Amino acid sequence: MWLFYLDSLQDALPFFLKGLWITIQVAGLSLVMGTGAGFLLGILRSARIRALNLLLAAYVDLIRGTPFLVQIFIVFFILPEWGIHLEAFASAVLSLTIYGTAYICEIVYGAIRGIPRGQIEAAAASGLRWWQQMRYVVVPQALRPILPPLVGQYVLLIKDTAVVSVIGLTDVTRVGWLTVQRIPNGILVFGLVGLLYFLICYPLVYLSNRLEARLKVEESTL
Amino acid sequence: MVENIEAIAGTDGMDSKMIQFRQVNKWFGSLHVLRDVTLEVAPSEVAVICGPSGSGKSTLIRCINRLEPIRSGEIFVDGMAVHERNADLIRLRTEVGFVFQQFNLYPHMTALENVTLAPIKVRRQKPAEAAALGRDLLAKVGIAEKAGSYPAQLSGGQQQRVAIARGLAMQPKIMLFDEPTSALDPEMINEVLEVMIQLAKDGMTMVVVTHEMGFAREVGHKVIFMDEGQIVETAPPEQFFKSARNERTLMFLSKILSH
Repeated sequence: MWLFYLDSLQDALPFFLKGLWITIQVAGLSLVMGTGAGFLLGILRSARIRALNLLLAAYVDLIRGTPFLVQIFIVFFILPEWGIHLEAFASAVLSLTIYGTAYICEIVYGAIRGIPRGQIEAAAASGLRWWQQMRYVVVPQALRPILPPLVGQYVLLIKDTAVVSVIGLTDVTRVGWLTVQRIPNGILVFGLVGLLYFLICYPLVYLSNRLEARLKVEESTL
Repeated sequence: MVENIEAIAGTDGMDSKMIQFRQVNKWFGSLHVLRDVTLEVAPSEVAVICGPSGSGKSTLIRCINRLEPIRSGEIFVDGMAVHERNADLIRLRTEVGFVFQQFNLYPHMTALENVTLAPIKVRRQKPAEAAALGRDLLAKVGIAEKAGSYPAQLSGGQQQRVAIARGLAMQPKIMLFDEPTSALDPEMINEVLEVMIQLAKDGMTMVVVTHEMGFAREVGHKVIFMDEGQIVETAPPEQFFKSARNERTLMFLSKILSH
């Protein structure tokens, strides 16, 4: 029986790869946009502009305090009520970007806050404008503490893309759901789904661990 | 012709003052850190500020380039009204170099990059031009050979000299030093002081917060003694050391000159 299932699964493989490609596209696009927006908002948060800070803190808390499943439902089912119609793929990318941005914003903001005050004062005293202080002095130094948790966050976000299957996007998880109805061996089918996620995520997990270890060595030699 | 120029300079009222404080007050929360501070520094004058810790001397010097805002009073630097809300901070800070107690060099940049960052980004100098000037300045502070080194590879004294070169890179009219030798090992203090002494002899306008009274004696024009946010006494160095009148000044001097 297992051999038969294995055979059928092999036939279904192109379907899985197609789903994987959707997963990679959704994850890739939202990671790139989330990283850009997260850095921007994280840097803006450290500008100490009161109103902006309250707004950003509220955004971050709201996103981090609600399930992603609910957020994607809001984007997919509630935005159309207000006349904003997005197809499943765009909804998935948008909601994942909004979600990822909040976490990346916090990582960036936290790292920037860890940069000694004297660095900013030295840059300011030499006549650099605020954004130049950030661009040339603060952010380059913050990258080291940012990178390990950022890569770790990428892994979490890639895994969270599984949720987009609920709005009918045929990502690799939904391919699993559809396949298991034809090949009723859950272990086999979702074993394959899990393996595909693992193949994408493991290199990042490894990278994150390496970066973390390197950061520790550098800190201890300072 | 000469008379003419003097007449013009005389009319704007700022000719004899590079830095001017008028009745400056500042609070940190409920702590009154600067109390009615009034002082003047003339071009090419070297003013040394001393006083016990917590007396407000660091705060005072940080007000000159507005690293600290003030609550009331007026500060003029080279004719610019620093206290005004819309003061051009970029212009102010390009004319005022600042050297910190903790050096605050950028750790991810080489000594030369530390020196050339502001000239390239603020003054829009060409990188090659800025690098040439930067190398000259590093040579001037005696560490030309360290241009390619990162701060972590330099001793404290070397780092502080790079920081001085960085301050000079914008070709400022004024240099401010906030306890520049306090974080240094004793054997490195002199190499930094020598650079500062040379700078003073070259005619730079300087305000220096320090307890290095040898420096004050050699190149200082006036010593300002602060205590509890107030300027208690201002006098030329010789007079300050010989005939300080104020009780608090005498107590302070007996402490720092006893060793």
